[in-house]
Amino acid sequence: MSALQEQFVTEARELIRQATDDLIVLERDGASPERVDRVFRAFHTLKGSAGVVELPAMSIMLHAGEDLLAGVRQGTLAGGPDIIDAALACLDQVSRWVDDFEAAGAMPARAGEDSRILAERMRSYLPAEASQQQPGSAVRQSTAGMAAGLPDWAARMIAAERDAMASRMPKHASALWAISYQPIPGCFYNGDDPLQLMRQVPDLLAFHIEPVEPFAPLSDIDPYACNLRLQAISAGDRDEIARIFRLVPDQVQITGIPPDAILATPSVAGDADQTLIRSVIEAQCELLRISHRTDDLAGCAGAAARVATNALRHADHSQLADTVRRAGSMTLVQRDVGPLLTALEQALVALIETPSTAAAEDFSGLSAGAPSATERPAERVLRVSEAKIEALVNLAGELVVAKNALAHSAKRVEQDFGGQEAARSIRRDYDAIDRLVVELHGTILQLRMVPVAQVFRSLHRLVRDVSRQLGKNVGLMTSGEAAEADKTIVDRLFEPLVHLVRNALDHGIESPAQRREAGKPETAAISIEASRIGDRFLIEVTDDGRGIDSAVVRRRASEKRLVPADELAALTDEQVVDLVFAPGFSTAAEVSDISGRGIGMDVVRTVVEQIGGRVSLSSRVGAGTTVRLDLPMTIAMSRVMVVEAGGQLFGISMDAVSETVRLTPDRISQIKNNLGFVLRERLVPIVSLAELMKLPERAKEDAAARLFVVMEAAGRITAFEVDAIRDRLDVVLKPMQGLLENARGYAGTTLLGDGQVLLVLDVKELLP
Amino acid sequence: MTVRRGDDGLIVLDGVCTVEHAEPLLQLLQTMPAAEVDWRQCGQLHTAVLQLVLASGKASIGPCGDAWVEQWLVPKLPQNEAGS
Repeated sequence: MSALQEQFVTEARELIRQATDDLIVLERDGASPERVDRVFRAFHTLKGSAGVVELPAMSIMLHAGEDLLAGVRQGTLAGGPDIIDAALACLDQVSRWVDDFEAAGAMPARAGEDSRILAERMRSYLPAEASQQQPGSAVRQSTAGMAAGLPDWAARMIAAERDAMASRMPKHASALWAISYQPIPGCFYNGDDPLQLMRQVPDLLAFHIEPVEPFAPLSDIDPYACNLRLQAISAGDRDEIARIFRLVPDQVQITGIPPDAILATPSVAGDADQTLIRSVIEAQCELLRISHRTDDLAGCAGAAARVATNALRHADHSQLADTVRRAGSMTLVQRDVGPLLTALEQALVALIETPSTAAAEDFSGLSAGAPSATERPAERVLRVSEAKIEALVNLAGELVVAKNALAHSAKRVEQDFGGQEAARSIRRDYDAIDRLVVELHGTILQLRMVPVAQVFRSLHRLVRDVSRQLGKNVGLMTSGEAAEADKTIVDRLFEPLVHLVRNALDHGIESPAQRREAGKPETAAISIEASRIGDRFLIEVTDDGRGIDSAVVRRRASEKRLVPADELAALTDEQVVDLVFAPGFSTAAEVSDISGRGIGMDVVRTVVEQIGGRVSLSSRVGAGTTVRLDLPMTIAMSRVMVVEAGGQLFGISMDAVSETVRLTPDRISQIKNNLGFVLRERLVPIVSLAELMKLPERAKEDAAARLFVVMEAAGRITAFEVDAIRDRLDVVLKPMQGLLENARGYAGTTLLGDGQVLLVLDVKELLP
Repeated sequence: MTVRRGDDGLIVLDGVCTVEHAEPLLQLLQTMPAAEVDWRQCGQLHTAVLQLVLASGKASIGPCGDAWVEQWLVPKLPQNEAGS
């Protein structure tokens, strides 16, 4: 996939997300001109970009969507639910195609048909005369898009060297490839020799090399800055060509051209390309002129600059593209569309005067003086693959472990060799390294932090669709979208949040009639709030529905025999409500489409606990329910308590530990078959950790106080009896591997400072 | 391989030209503004060296020792186009 195509995929997803959000707000809050404009622009930009990457079916469908929104914008159409549905369906389809395009480099075979059906559906809402006009322009768009295959430079090259190329053409050539390679200026430092790559291109038909910017005079030239653009046309194998340039994919663009391009008159294709580019740029100018009237200058100018830059770059007017891009960032800085509009207008003039590159050079010289003085570098975003970040996180984790070894060395120097002075010096170094490592680790983890907004976005859509389906009026409010947590956590949050919201919609919220009867507003409210408290990340999902009746839950639990009857009777109302998280629990009378299979809340607890969080629930009958997810912000590090039992060390995740207590034997009593004690009016059963791990127990002196670690997991409280508590450590937990992979009862291992392997217990699995 | 000042006021490229030869070539080009570049003896050219020859705009004495460059590039150099 070329850089241009990759950029298209990323941008398309952002635009789809933004337009989906806006459509939903639009339906909820009514059609404000700014918002309709924004959705319209998103469709418009998507359509333009789809044309540039040559996806005509997508363009045609989006064009119909654009018409629909134009109708809403002009007030000839009301933005009712049907129209919003159609527009959302269009975006869904685009989203699926973008996925296909990313995966396979092409749209599925039936895309044309799907596009036609959806386009017709959208046009059916348009008044008759508007829908009559449009098909013509849609067709023009699509044919132009298809003709855009031959880059300008290739057309020029073919025109200049047609005969020579035809004579070099291999007999069985099925396709030709236009390769445009613009090495980055610093490529020599990377050990690249661009010419050497070009030498390897198979079945070369033509080659051209030219300076990107005019060469500086010899007195000023930097011999190690590459200022060349290399272009070639090859009749070789696409994969082989791609392999040659595999290390510089961002600098090379490989475009397929039909072999008969060498025979055809090239000017036609070139012109069609120019026409398309011109029309794209003209549309952006128009859009910018409109944007004077709206507040959303930044969004509008940003989109216009991107589309125009992409279009120009695609047609190989990279200098024009750069100038437009620079003018775009200037417009954003100055909050004035002037510079961008001027640059686009100049680009249009230059395009008419081209195809020679001379015009483009003149143009860039003409405008270079003004912007360079005021130009400020925009904030740049670097996309890095997740795997690389992951490697960095792991390395930093190892560093933490290696650092811990230093403290151990200090202790040994002091104890075994009596070197107090040396030990002190090592400790000082340790402290310095500790500070740096902690900072480094923190900074690296920051790289993985993403805002929770992306998860919340899809929930708006869910609430809208499900509440329509159920015939309930529900408003969703979200806040704290900017709160950030580790990507793994945010990614995994989606599933539990979907279950919580579905449950609230299905079970929590009453029908409008019931709400009226209860004296509540007909429109129910669900709110989702994210916040950060210290190093915890909290999410609260609240609804103002009927609440959870503990009596109903109690009856249900006893029917389903989730808990033995005597235990159930002993539970408080709060504890009973907590049973909705138990596997197999469901209060819905029937299994419905939406929830009620009795697995939802179980999944919520499982997933949240897997990522090191806790779920709690509070509910008032008639007033509503709040589910609170208390999550760590990162999961790469975990804090463990190191305890000793039966002569061995074990780690217990601090997430599970609620407190440690030391009790004299008289506080401990026999309860049924078990030992236990009472702590703040709760009965806590005792489990001997040594016995549990099948280790010899230490002989106990009768009068000595005994040490317990009290833990709560899955709603149960238990105390581990241990011989000693050693340390609290931040560790990087490694999953069990090899032979131990399936060993139950362990969450993972970590290396201690002295090289010992510490087994960290999975408390939930160990408890009876 | 060397980049050197030839006997007859030429800049001579001799043998395989790697990226390290860009700097000495530039020095010669700067100090001998009138000299032509003789690349008959050169082997494979590195892009950085070729870029300097192109940037200098100087006439070169060929045929170029780098056969690939001779085939694909030399026919299109401005001085050759003007001459032919």
